[in-house]
Amino acid sequence: MNQGWTAVATWHWVANDENCGICRMAFDGCCPDCKLPGDDCPLVWGECSHCFHIHCIVKWLNSQQVHQLCPMCRQDWKFKE
Amino acid sequence: MAANTEALNKAWKTIVDFLSPGGRPILEVSFPEIQFQSAVDILVQNGIVNIIEDWFFENVQRDIRQRVAPNFWNYYTSTACQGASEWSDNLLKAVQFLHQVSEEYKPSLQRLESISSGTHPKNSLQTFCGVQKLSDVLITLFKAIIFAQVPNGYQEGLDHFYSEAFKVFNDTNSDNKGGGNEEVERQCDGCGENTEVCRCAQIMDRFHTVNRLLDEVGILEEVSGTSATALVHEKIQQHVEAQCKGRFETSFLESLENWLDTKVLGWLNLIYTGNRTHIGADCISSFRGRLQHFLYKTYAQVQINEFFKIIIDFPESAPAVQDLKACLEKTDMRAQLISTLRSSIETRLLHPGVNTSDILTAYISAIRALRVLDPAGVILELVCDPVRKYLRCRDDTVRCIVSSLTDDGSSELLDELIKGQPLVLDESGHSDDEDEDWEKWNPDPVDADPATASKSRRASDIISMLVNIYGSKELFVNEYRTLLADRILTNFNYEIGREIRYLEHLKLRFGESQLHYCEVMLKDVADSKRINARIKEEKAQRNEQDVVEVNSMILSAQFWPAFREEKITLPEEMQKLLEAYTKKFEALKGNRTLQWKSHLGLMNIDIELKDRTINFKVSPVHAAIIMQFQEKNKWTVEELSKTLQMPATALRRKIAYWQSQGLLKEESNDTFVLVEDHRGHTHDYLMTEDDETESAMASTQAQKEEEYQIYWSYIVGMLTNLESLPIERIHSMLRMFTMQGASTMECTIQELKQFLDRKVKEQQLMYSGGVYRLPK
Ligand SMILES: [Zn+2]
Ligand SMILES: [Zn+2]
Ligand SMILES: [Zn+2]
Repeated sequence: MNQGWTAVATWHWVANDENCGICRMAFDGCCPDCKLPGDDCPLVWGECSHCFHIHCIVKWLNSQQVHQLCPMCRQDWKFKE
Repeated sequence: MAANTEALNKAWKTIVDFLSPGGRPILEVSFPEIQFQSAVDILVQNGIVNIIEDWFFENVQRDIRQRVAPNFWNYYTSTACQGASEWSDNLLKAVQFLHQVSEEYKPSLQRLESISSGTHPKNSLQTFCGVQKLSDVLITLFKAIIFAQVPNGYQEGLDHFYSEAFKVFNDTNSDNKGGGNEEVERQCDGCGENTEVCRCAQIMDRFHTVNRLLDEVGILEEVSGTSATALVHEKIQQHVEAQCKGRFETSFLESLENWLDTKVLGWLNLIYTGNRTHIGADCISSFRGRLQHFLYKTYAQVQINEFFKIIIDFPESAPAVQDLKACLEKTDMRAQLISTLRSSIETRLLHPGVNTSDILTAYISAIRALRVLDPAGVILELVCDPVRKYLRCRDDTVRCIVSSLTDDGSSELLDELIKGQPLVLDESGHSDDEDEDWEKWNPDPVDADPATASKSRRASDIISMLVNIYGSKELFVNEYRTLLADRILTNFNYEIGREIRYLEHLKLRFGESQLHYCEVMLKDVADSKRINARIKEEKAQRNEQDVVEVNSMILSAQFWPAFREEKITLPEEMQKLLEAYTKKFEALKGNRTLQWKSHLGLMNIDIELKDRTINFKVSPVHAAIIMQFQEKNKWTVEELSKTLQMPATALRRKIAYWQSQGLLKEESNDTFVLVEDHRGHTHDYLMTEDDETESAMASTQAQKEEEYQIYWSYIVGMLTNLESLPIERIHSMLRMFTMQGASTMECTIQELKQFLDRKVKEQQLMYSGGVYRLPK
């Protein structure tokens, strides 16, 4: 087959916001600790439907002594399956 | 008392008789010396022996002034308008006359010397002339009185006399005598006469006689010096120009010195050595020192005048640079070199007619050559400062540097890059504890700018010097990023091994963090390749097959420079292909989706016509247009513009490409048809160039356009309030406004006029009577 098409696209996370609520960096970029976006610095969603860079939320949760709350809505944080 | 006076008078008369040149013949007196001595003794007894010398030299002065000088010059002036050969004969006669005078004075001087030796303090004239011997006083008087005023033409005559002899000498000692040419052989190269009546021997004979006589009189250097020096200087100048001008690939210093020692000094020896009584042995060696200096200076001058070419030819011209370096160490021509080179760089390099890449090439050559010439880097700094300032004003400088750094063609800069030293920038502070070996320390030359650390001057390599044109790595890295993006999105080559290697070199130079974005960009290419392969594999497993295979270049938007935007809605069949790809991507990469840049990319399509199928590689926009014509073979621009949701102007430009390929034809105004049958058809439109080379990235032109939009809002405001304004007022007001605002763009009146004229054309502005106003 002779015919072909090399098309150009940009990839984006399907999220209800542009920036991570914790580090304020773009979801399509990466968290301050990472160098490469996408697979290397993925997003995770909570059951409250808020999402963050995985590294950001893990860091946040580790810093919470008693309850593990979503930093946006203050509900109990549970990773969405 | 009377007897004493009489004795004194008698003694005085005797002394006058003895000491007068050409006076009473000495041989007629018996025992002359005793007679003379007793006369002197009488004067000594009376304590007035001193008056002898005073009287004598007063007489001599009068004699020279009244008799010798007029007679001497008479030899020239009487025949002033005659030929040069007669002049030389007259010179011989004049010198012979002077020699005779000098000889006549000799016995008197000897007597006088014997009286005065040791017994009394030096004569006042002797002290005045700064000489030891009384005979030297005579020489001084000759020089002072005879040569105080020389007649017209005297120096020219002397010059001719010496140059004539030099020619004969040179011809006699010439290495390559005679040639095949008959006519040349019939004429003597030495004297210019026919060989049968050659006067060479005669000329040399006269030459030697004059020099010998002048030396015996004691005025050889006085008479010959100016002519001999001028002649020799002229010969050096001619020789250097003939030998060295325009030849940079050979070193000349050794052969020049050799020539000086054999030819030039050989000639001077002829004048000043060989049984000379008044010429010291150091005469030639001091001549040699002065002439060597002159030779270096002359040679340096010739090369300095051509130094711009020498720089351009470097490294082939390295021998010339080395020679010049040696010359600069021995002469004081540094300042001249700097000013000459600066001005030739300015006139030949720094004007709008020269390409930026050519200026850069010259700049790089200059860095290399000047480093050899002056390792301290001071000349480089002084000379290249205007080059840097000029390059800073050109908008394509960074692009030129970056592309020459990374292009295949120019290996020179690439080699420098691969050397991989970290960047030395001017901005980096210099520490006090420089780990230089103090024993090897050299002071900076006096013309060095004390504001610049000598270490940073020396350590800078070429790439650092190029980057230092701007003093900012960011500008460079940004430009590299744009070029890299452009290359990826034009070539669509997934094999990026070479790009990665460059990037590694650049990282060593500019630092990891600066190039992080570029690293992500290259990773995008590698990831896209993997995703394409995965999707293809899946399709193969499911035995799916498309007419057009879609591959993608999936970019991390945050890390790429701004893209050029273009409005288009692709036809449905094309959209569907992309949607299908998006689905597969979403399945592969959870929670992620794609946004297509429809106008970017490359399509490889077959176009089926009545009699044949033609393959094209074009942008999706071009493809979309031609595909419309496959469904319906006649479209107006308006219809197409509606269907593809594309502005008519952009559409026309794309259509122009297909016209140039002979596939579309403008049937009537703005109505195009597909040309199915190719026979007998000639292209009716030439391809516009920008279609071929259109960049995927937002251009600086587009960025400028944005700036103009800001201006436009100011202009509308001004004209609303003030109704009408001439362009000068608009320009000065804009400058006032933009100085306060964020815009830093410089806009000349010329550029502003172009912009305003465009607005007039677009009917957003009116122009009449020299003023602009808004349409009512
Ligand atoms: Zn984050
Ligand atoms: Zn991260
Ligand atoms: Zn939440």
